[in-house]
Amino acid sequence: MTEKSRMNDMSQQSNPSRPVNRLALRVFVPALLLVAVFGVAITYFPKNATGRSPLTSAIDPGPRGGAPGAGGFLTGLSSNEKQILPTITTEFSRAHDVVVTSPVDGGLGPRFNSNSCVSCHQYPAAGGSSPVSNPLFSVYQLRGASNTMPSFITTSGPILEARFIHQSDGVTPDGNIHQLFTITGRSDATGCSISQPDFTTAQLTGNLALRQPTPMYGSGLMEIIKNIDIVNNMNANLALKQSLGIAGHPNYSGNDGSIQRFGWKAQFRAVLTVASAQLNTEMGVTNEMFPTELDQTPGCVINPLPETVTNFTPGILTENFPGDAERDMLYATWLLGPKAIAPTPSTTNGQTQFNNIGCVLCHTTSFTTPAGSRPALTNQIITLYSDFLVHHMGPGLADGIAQGGAGPDEFRTAPLWGIGQRLFFIHDGRTKDLVQAIEDHYSLGNGTYGNSEANSVITNFNALSTTNQQDLLNFLRSL
Amino acid sequence: MAQPAFPAKRYLKNKTLVIGLMLVGLALVSIVALTSLSASSIRGASSAIDPGPRPLPAAAGAFYTTLTPNQNSVTARLTTVMTEVNQVTGGMQKTVGLGPGFNSNSCTSCHAYPANGGTSPPVNPLFAIFNLFGGTNTMPFFITTNGPVLVARFVHQADGVTPDGGVHNMFNISNRTDAPGCTGLVQPDFSGEAAKGNLINRLTTPTYGEGLVELVQESDIVANLAANSSLKQTLGITGHANYSGDDGGINRFGWKAQIRSLVYFSGEAYNVEEGNSNEMFPNERDESVPACLPPFPVGSTFHTKGVPDDRVDTGEAPKRPVNFSGDLERFGLFMRFLQPPTPVAPTPSTTNGQVQFNNVGCVLCHQTSFTTPKSSIAALSQQTATLYSDLAVHHMGPVLADGIMQGQAGPDEFRTAPLWGIGQRLFFMHDGRTADIVQAIQDHFSLGNSQYPASEANGVVNNFNALSPTNQQDLINFLRSL
Repeated sequence: MTEKSRMNDMSQQSNPSRPVNRLALRVFVPALLLVAVFGVAITYFPKNATGRSPLTSAIDPGPRGGAPGAGGFLTGLSSNEKQILPTITTEFSRAHDVVVTSPVDGGLGPRFNSNSCVSCHQYPAAGGSSPVSNPLFSVYQLRGASNTMPSFITTSGPILEARFIHQSDGVTPDGNIHQLFTITGRSDATGCSISQPDFTTAQLTGNLALRQPTPMYGSGLMEIIKNIDIVNNMNANLALKQSLGIAGHPNYSGNDGSIQRFGWKAQFRAVLTVASAQLNTEMGVTNEMFPTELDQTPGCVINPLPETVTNFTPGILTENFPGDAERDMLYATWLLGPKAIAPTPSTTNGQTQFNNIGCVLCHTTSFTTPAGSRPALTNQIITLYSDFLVHHMGPGLADGIAQGGAGPDEFRTAPLWGIGQRLFFIHDGRTKDLVQAIEDHYSLGNGTYGNSEANSVITNFNALSTTNQQDLLNFLRSL
Repeated sequence: MAQPAFPAKRYLKNKTLVIGLMLVGLALVSIVALTSLSASSIRGASSAIDPGPRPLPAAAGAFYTTLTPNQNSVTARLTTVMTEVNQVTGGMQKTVGLGPGFNSNSCTSCHAYPANGGTSPPVNPLFAIFNLFGGTNTMPFFITTNGPVLVARFVHQADGVTPDGGVHNMFNISNRTDAPGCTGLVQPDFSGEAAKGNLINRLTTPTYGEGLVELVQESDIVANLAANSSLKQTLGITGHANYSGDDGGINRFGWKAQIRSLVYFSGEAYNVEEGNSNEMFPNERDESVPACLPPFPVGSTFHTKGVPDDRVDTGEAPKRPVNFSGDLERFGLFMRFLQPPTPVAPTPSTTNGQVQFNNVGCVLCHQTSFTTPKSSIAALSQQTATLYSDLAVHHMGPVLADGIMQGQAGPDEFRTAPLWGIGQRLFFMHDGRTADIVQAIQDHFSLGNSQYPASEANGVVNNFNALSPTNQQDLINFLRSL
């Protein structure tokens, strides 16, 4: 089906209230093709990919100022649950050295990306994502560490972690996180001598894939959404989705067959898994779920393993309290979902446009949580704007990494709640401009990957009047 | 590891071996022919006799004697949680959350023998469980009173093409009196799936000593895989780790090394085997009948209010005491604190048996031991784990292949099963197909077909069959001493 006939289908079947102007199509489709060619071209020069799309004159109003619309804990926590909020907040916030020197925790490294959860999950409030000023510059050479800063980390750019697409043979898939820094040179890690990965070569050979932190607000609610609700939503509006080229599927867990829902490729099932994995992969803190160090070079495995375990020390509140992984899990589980600001006429129309052109077909407005054993999470409507599915996004976004059932060009529909105060967009934080982020969803197929499933919707967006486009952007920035 | 003194030249020239090979080939043809019926009693080219499982008392199941007083103070609670019998609602505190689907109602029912934490007992416990509280389940044909506890997985989904691989629960809570209002859940059609060749079974794995296994360093596993490479090559042995996509570490638990750690294992088993949703797998697996999901309309405080059924305690009923880990962490601790099985003292026969075990090449995959690194749990720190496994997966040929991929373990690949405790083991192979350890050895042999390559164990099983009857018997005696 050509772009044009797909658009016609769209205008006839799905969007009768706003027929697409055929003349506009004649202008926009060739223009889009041009943009796509440009897009393909600039993929090879990612640093130049920050330019504005010529297809829309709407302007991203930028991240919303004022008080954070996120952070803080669920109302409705029990008094017992509230009792441990300080403990779990401390765990989430505190820095880690290699060796414990209270109040600083231990366990850092041998390889790490940062030294606390909150350093990367901090904006607009603790639990969030990348802040205005990159915190890694104050972390990487602490205590004499001899790290150099990879070129893709900049002072006002996003926090990014690095994955390699292939192993050193250039063929075998890798996909794992390669930590930016090591503890070599640190005064609390004498005897450990390892090198940072060669990111420059990886970047030159196209072997580097970058990912920015995902915000954690509302994770406990997202975690318990029923699998069957996700599947039913996937199967809703099938004809319309088909006409727009939208498919999508869950990334199922091989363990229990349920639907994974966290991470850029929906590669994680539960908050506890995320918390445990990230303790090890981001900070190097081994724990009961991931008990061995990621680099076992002699001299670099400094602490007894795992570095955080269930606490058996008798005492009020801390008696038999779970280890750091469970504390971080509780912290994220009990975080409120982001709150949108009150609607205005512009944002109300923006949401209508968002729905009409088909954004909502993947960015599903809301799900309702089932009965939860934590009353605070029970029967909550969560307006997260995601279907929890992974979708083909075309060569423009493809990062070449397969994770479980998510292919190298597939990504989870990023939840949009809280996007009003988000600073960086797309999995690799490639843009701060929300308009550009929308355009980045468009990508024509090539020899390796098919079209982006979002192409028709982006075409629809570009066909909107400037006012409607602007209202849609204002709506997004209200979330 | 000592270089096994494998007599390669003798192997190539020995007439006995050629005859042995032919016999094995014959046996194999019979095995292939009979696999669809029952491969339980086919003997290979060996006159050795399995002396059978060593009698009780159990040489496993105790906690480390080196636990700290604080660790010791919780072991009773860990045992309680391991042995508690789960109901849907209304049980004593901490014993609710069963279903909607389940395979059994407590950890220990399947991890029972020779002691709590082990594997399948002589009398199948499922007959006393499947219709408790008025349940209306029928027993699948593959579960027999004296047979192993098994779980069922389907190779493909209903379309016959899309890979499945998931566990399909044998039983459900429909019509149970402790699940008021729940009706209409349907058991899978196991007979139909078996007729289509779509059913595969897996036996419970024992959990003794797993705290040590969990800590074995990846670098040691990789170095061991690379050791003796020319000898392995001669015998057709390769093998590789099943790496975790989560952290890049090596998965090491389960028949295909599909699970990374004990907490992971606990979380999965709790939801998959008992239907207790938890903080790792927070949803019920079967959401098709709303009336079969928590909360159930009962007056008792002893029921889960919703998902997950189990979670970190904060003191609310039915969970206490305050701030203790959830069940999945407790299961993890239980297993972590379990000592490995203790072998019996060596005899001249078992000593020679181990020499033969090494010489014929068993040890090339069933790696004798690993040493753990320094651990924050002193009992696990720098200990030798004599587990007889390389913690890698190997191609085992069409006879064992179960058609299911898990992570990087292919449909014909299995983890080298640790042999510690095998002296008191009742059932062997991933699907418990035999209770005869001699047969289990022969089952490692399988010629390739159009779908799968030959078993990596073929060379070694040939070597075993070429041993003198005495040496074979000593090797068997050695295994039964573990």
